[in-house]
Amino acid sequence: MQDTDLQLQGKDIQLTACPTCKQITSLTEEICQRCDSALRVRDTLSLQKSWALVITAAILLIPANIYPITMLTKQGNIRYDTIFSGIIHLVQTGMLPIAIIVFTASILVPWLKIIGLTLYLSAITFNLPLSKKKLMLGFHIIETIGRWSMLDLFVISLTVALVNMGQLLDAQPAPAATAFALVILLTQTAAKVLDTRLLWDRLDTNDDTNRTP
Amino acid sequence: MGSQAVNESIVLCHSCDLAIRKRALPSGVRALCPRCHSPLYHTPYCSLNGMLALCITALIFFTPAHLLPMLELHFLGSIRTTTVFEGALAVGHQGYWIVGLAVMTAAVFAPGLLLLSILSQIIIVKHRLHSSFHRKILKKLLMLHTLLTQLSMLEIYVISFLVSAFQLSDFASITFGMGTFCFTMLFISTLFLLREYDLEHMWSLLDARH
Repeated sequence: MQDTDLQLQGKDIQLTACPTCKQITSLTEEICQRCDSALRVRDTLSLQKSWALVITAAILLIPANIYPITMLTKQGNIRYDTIFSGIIHLVQTGMLPIAIIVFTASILVPWLKIIGLTLYLSAITFNLPLSKKKLMLGFHIIETIGRWSMLDLFVISLTVALVNMGQLLDAQPAPAATAFALVILLTQTAAKVLDTRLLWDRLDTNDDTNRTP
Repeated sequence: MGSQAVNESIVLCHSCDLAIRKRALPSGVRALCPRCHSPLYHTPYCSLNGMLALCITALIFFTPAHLLPMLELHFLGSIRTTTVFEGALAVGHQGYWIVGLAVMTAAVFAPGLLLLSILSQIIIVKHRLHSSFHRKILKKLLMLHTLLTQLSMLEIYVISFLVSAFQLSDFASITFGMGTFCFTMLFISTLFLLREYDLEHMWSLLDARH
């Protein structure tokens, strides 16, 4: 089979894939002939950009979780809910399936995203001896499920638009909503800008299964 | 060109840069990178007429999905309705314009632009490929395509109005409006459209007729 043969990378045979249109071009070109994007063997700067975005997102995750995300006025009583207390409230009112969905989208996914990206970036930066295959799988999972965090913001926008009856019943967003929106934006961008090929270059020396000739 | 022929028989994994010899695949099978298991390429049906039909269907549902009320809330005799658009505006009006903008982009702008972009791509490929002006537009649209797909989050919105309906049913009675139906149909037709669509194939159409 092919995969037990020598594992040649594009840069070993003087070829590179265009980051925008995936056209394969010779490394001597500077601009992709098909879509005019700039070509680079590896985007080494992307590692720094990705780190910066992940660290900012991690900092913003704190206000997103400790400040209230919604404010509900019910017959004159005001109740503030953080992401977590909102979920507890859902469990108490007997809506366990909904609570599980919201928990996954608003707590599990953002935390996993930040922890996963940190792990992935550290593996590249500090040459950690972790399984590249597992890291890559994790990265693809992060890319796919990351967007589901938007669920909570959609729910808030619908609730705020529907529930507006003054002192009787009124829902409003609270400060954590902005922080949460930024966490999603920053983590998604961090995953998008990163050149994942860097991982497969760095660890080659440590891993016998992926020797380069 | 000699190197061109080599380039076409080799694929480079986008995630790890492994060089792989390209082989013909039976339809419905996708090739994964042997080293990092990222998807490499597959053979989609990608029929232009099928995509055109799905795209027009989605565009027909697009307007009612965003204009007709999505959810209706009955509370102590008063009725409130909302649409996707009003939801985004309501959050924006409270001063949370980043949240409003995010909702607006993910549920209104990105899906709309995505559908319009695919529609114009199909029309250009079918009728206007000989003019260099239209080829330039097609190139720009193809370059934007990945971003637009990542930004449009119709599937998440569908789940979110179910979640809101359940949450609010705690203290008020909630009914789904006609907008819900149209939005779900919009989501389904877009889903099938994107399954049919293959960016690599569209690029090759642009290359083919120099």
